[in-house]
Amino acid sequence: MSYLNDKQEGSVHLLMGNEAIVRGALEAGMRVAAGYPGTPSSEIIEAFSKVARERNIYAEWSTNEKVAVEVSSAASFAGLRTMCVMKQNGVNVASDFLLHLASSGTRGGMVLVACDDPGALSSVNEGESRIFARLVEIPLLEPGDLQEAKDITKRAFELSEELRNLVMVRSVTRMSHASGNVTYGTLPDTTTQADFKCNGPMFDPDNGPVISMVVGAAELQHGPQQEKLRKAARLFEDCSFNTYTGPKSPELLIITSSACNLYSREAVKLLEAEDRVGILKLATTWPLPPNLIRNNLSRTDKILIVEEVLPVLEEQVKILAAEMTPEIGAKRFFGKNAGNIPSVGELNPDIVIDAISSILDIPYKTISKTFSDAVNALAQRAAPNRGLTFCPGCPHRASYWSIHNALELDGRKGFVCGDIGCYVFGTLPSGFSIVKTLHSMGSGTGIASGFAKLKQFGMDQPVISVCGDSTFFHAAMPALTNAVHHKSPLTMVILDNRGTAMTGFQPHPGSPNNVLGEEMPALDIEAICRAMGALVEVQDPFDTEATEKAFHRLIEHGEGAKVLILRQACALSPERRNKKNFEVKIDEEICLGESCGCNRLCTRIFGCPGIVWDKEKGISKIDELICVGCGFCADICPAGAIKKKEVA
Amino acid sequence: MNTVYGSQELCTNVIGKQLCIGCGACIDLCPYFRSYKGKTSMLFPCTLQEGRCFSYCPKIEVDLDKLSQRLFGHLYDGNPLGHYISVSMSRAGESVGSGQFQAGGTVSAIMEYVLSRGYCDAVVVTDREKLLPIPRFVTQPEEIRTCSSSKYTAAPTLSAFHGAMKEGFKQIGIVGTPCQVLATAQIRSNPMDEKDFHDPTGLVVGLFCTWALDYRAFESYISTRIDKDGIEKIDIPPPPSEIMEIYMTGGDKVSIPLNEIRKLVPESCSYCIDMTSEFSDISVGVMEGRPEMNSLIVRTERGRRIIEEAQRDGYLIISDMPQENLEHLIWAAGNKKERALLKSTQENIVNTTQEDRLSYLRINRETLNQYSV
Repeated sequence: MSYLNDKQEGSVHLLMGNEAIVRGALEAGMRVAAGYPGTPSSEIIEAFSKVARERNIYAEWSTNEKVAVEVSSAASFAGLRTMCVMKQNGVNVASDFLLHLASSGTRGGMVLVACDDPGALSSVNEGESRIFARLVEIPLLEPGDLQEAKDITKRAFELSEELRNLVMVRSVTRMSHASGNVTYGTLPDTTTQADFKCNGPMFDPDNGPVISMVVGAAELQHGPQQEKLRKAARLFEDCSFNTYTGPKSPELLIITSSACNLYSREAVKLLEAEDRVGILKLATTWPLPPNLIRNNLSRTDKILIVEEVLPVLEEQVKILAAEMTPEIGAKRFFGKNAGNIPSVGELNPDIVIDAISSILDIPYKTISKTFSDAVNALAQRAAPNRGLTFCPGCPHRASYWSIHNALELDGRKGFVCGDIGCYVFGTLPSGFSIVKTLHSMGSGTGIASGFAKLKQFGMDQPVISVCGDSTFFHAAMPALTNAVHHKSPLTMVILDNRGTAMTGFQPHPGSPNNVLGEEMPALDIEAICRAMGALVEVQDPFDTEATEKAFHRLIEHGEGAKVLILRQACALSPERRNKKNFEVKIDEEICLGESCGCNRLCTRIFGCPGIVWDKEKGISKIDELICVGCGFCADICPAGAIKKKEVA
Repeated sequence: MNTVYGSQELCTNVIGKQLCIGCGACIDLCPYFRSYKGKTSMLFPCTLQEGRCFSYCPKIEVDLDKLSQRLFGHLYDGNPLGHYISVSMSRAGESVGSGQFQAGGTVSAIMEYVLSRGYCDAVVVTDREKLLPIPRFVTQPEEIRTCSSSKYTAAPTLSAFHGAMKEGFKQIGIVGTPCQVLATAQIRSNPMDEKDFHDPTGLVVGLFCTWALDYRAFESYISTRIDKDGIEKIDIPPPPSEIMEIYMTGGDKVSIPLNEIRKLVPESCSYCIDMTSEFSDISVGVMEGRPEMNSLIVRTERGRRIIEEAQRDGYLIISDMPQENLEHLIWAAGNKKERALLKSTQENIVNTTQEDRLSYLRINRETLNQYSV
């Protein structure tokens, strides 16, 4: 039995934030969970899959986030409690459906969990999902610690049913991935059956069809939707997750939420300013409960708002404060707008300490620069000097190698449009810097479809896009259909590494199983592309000669969209992990090192971390600890010094 | 004293200035330079200050006095036909098996001869895959004939020379155009001052050449007119015919006026001062008005000995070249030299002295005066 399934009420478990969210959903009797992988959210669906059988749950990795919300909403329409899960960027993808869903309303409790990545530690941009709660007009809850991650999730389902609408719970990396003690509540015995009642009158919230259709009659749905928000604000006035800690009338009031609550508490403690600074920690950050805000703003005249990414909380508090000025007087605000809190990147206790100590003029001695410099120097000595790169034996490096070389040989200044996956390193020397555009999932192919149509304006160079196998299903298929239909002569390279590798090998529609481990029909990418009408070739990127030739054939083929599928499992995948195809050795006698004829091709250019440069001997050698035995380097060594022997 | 730099200077001064003809002298020495469809590209930067790529290239810092001194024992004298021992007419003799030759089959006959007599252990030739010239080296006399016939497009033939070197061949024969023969002369002059250096060539046979075609331009031109996969043989009959003849499988023959074709000649050829492969052992070309014969220039003692033996053993039939033909040959070669010297000096790539600019050729003053430049 999973510890997530412990029926013992009051038992205490060390849980990761994402697991606390899962436990909260289990305590709420959630039945259906759907999501798309993305750091820092991925552990949630995976944890559901582990308890799915015991708790009679259906969980899936959907094709993309929009589909995940749609799948999840069906459960809600049928009266079941349900959760959809994604990283912040996924909310962007889902937003079209979310707007409609918030308009039609929900039935069974439905919670959207959005995990933001302040500082973009594992993302290509630093997005903000809280804005969507305002845009979509649904309530937003933010847990301020790990216990709350569980409790607030459970409460979110109840709130969703009280309001008959979707509720958003927002986490951040340091909440989702931190671990702490969580005290369990009861696990319900849920026997609810799915029943979609849809034969009642239009707009009947319990029995009518569920539609989002307010053409020319906004008041019919938009009005009630906004009333739901006003009701939420009223409920939030008494929400026990909104707490104030500090003196009755502090010199400075911090208003904060989420992980920033923890940073603020730590900062106040380190400054020993508990009697000077109060902290209003809000869990209900949209819509804000006005009375609660009024009462707390009345405590003092200096307000510091501590939050990550955009000043969402700050702006809402300022609006209320402006409206309340006749009652509570003018306030002085500190935060992002005033420059006390940085507008980009993650926060930490030091940043909050800086802000408080400068506002209140409290001297605080941070770690001495000499000490931190010494620590950094030590860390650099101990760690290998390595740029951002692909893992040893990564098929993407091999794919980019062949694409790069073919483009250089072709000589027509071809370039690559990329998108999201480990293959973003195609923008860097580790991917030979061939990727020249990088935006959202699937966008490389859409952009390439456009570039390749610019011939009539004199742009006559090969246009290539790259996308991963999971990304192909997620968002690149519509872009490819566009290219095929408009005879856009791009070459789309699908880097098929057999799974959603970057986030941990979650299955996708091309996989032979689902997240529950059940056998599923694997969709054939090659057949799909052919059916669309593209000219398709499939190669193993570890065969650089064949890959390069195929690439030349396709980019020299003038008409229409071409697809090259480069299929080779990720070196970390369960399929390849701990399995060496080759024993790789370097013959020291043959290695040319820095001489004319090689000049360190393997370590200076190719850059697989599995090969290291022995400066003293002036030769390359294999780091046997991390070499995964793909054997690719043996094929590119100009001297034949790298020997590979097949492992039986 | 050799002037040797590295790949960066090569890229800037040769590839970047449209001087590269794609001869293959820098190909297959290292992983950085590669040739694709006639075009030489540098895949990744190499940081070495001096490289064989630079030192072998026939388009950068070519010191004609030094090469002439080394191969012929005297300074470069600007003779339109280069240094030679004899000029005559020739064709393949009875000892050569039948096969498809261009013109008199002299080149195939010589190469078969040197392979069968052991003067060469491998011979570098330019084969063809459809329209694309493919450099390769062969070790059996009968393989020569499978590669005979002219290509007319620039080819990285020297890459196969490096390939043969890597395989350990020590007396390599080569058939090449003037640029390829010039690169071979550079290789033979040990520009990198290697210890224990020995001349890796067994025999260098140069072809006459007034220009070559840019492969990509030719492919794209020809693809719109004929099915390039069905090409059997390409021929440019000796003047004054002024046409290119393309023989197709199935017997069709397509004629294309040379005026059309000349538009596809790369810029690089217009700088070339050499029509008759002056730095070879033996040079061979067509004979004006005698399509079944070749012009034959013997330049070195090594060349002379092999030609005499080949003649003795029935591989070659040699006769005197009529004076009129010789005069015309000298006139044509002199014309090419004059045009190219004029252009190269105008572009300031001969004997340059600026520190930031490298020279294409180093030529003595006497030669320049001779051609009034």
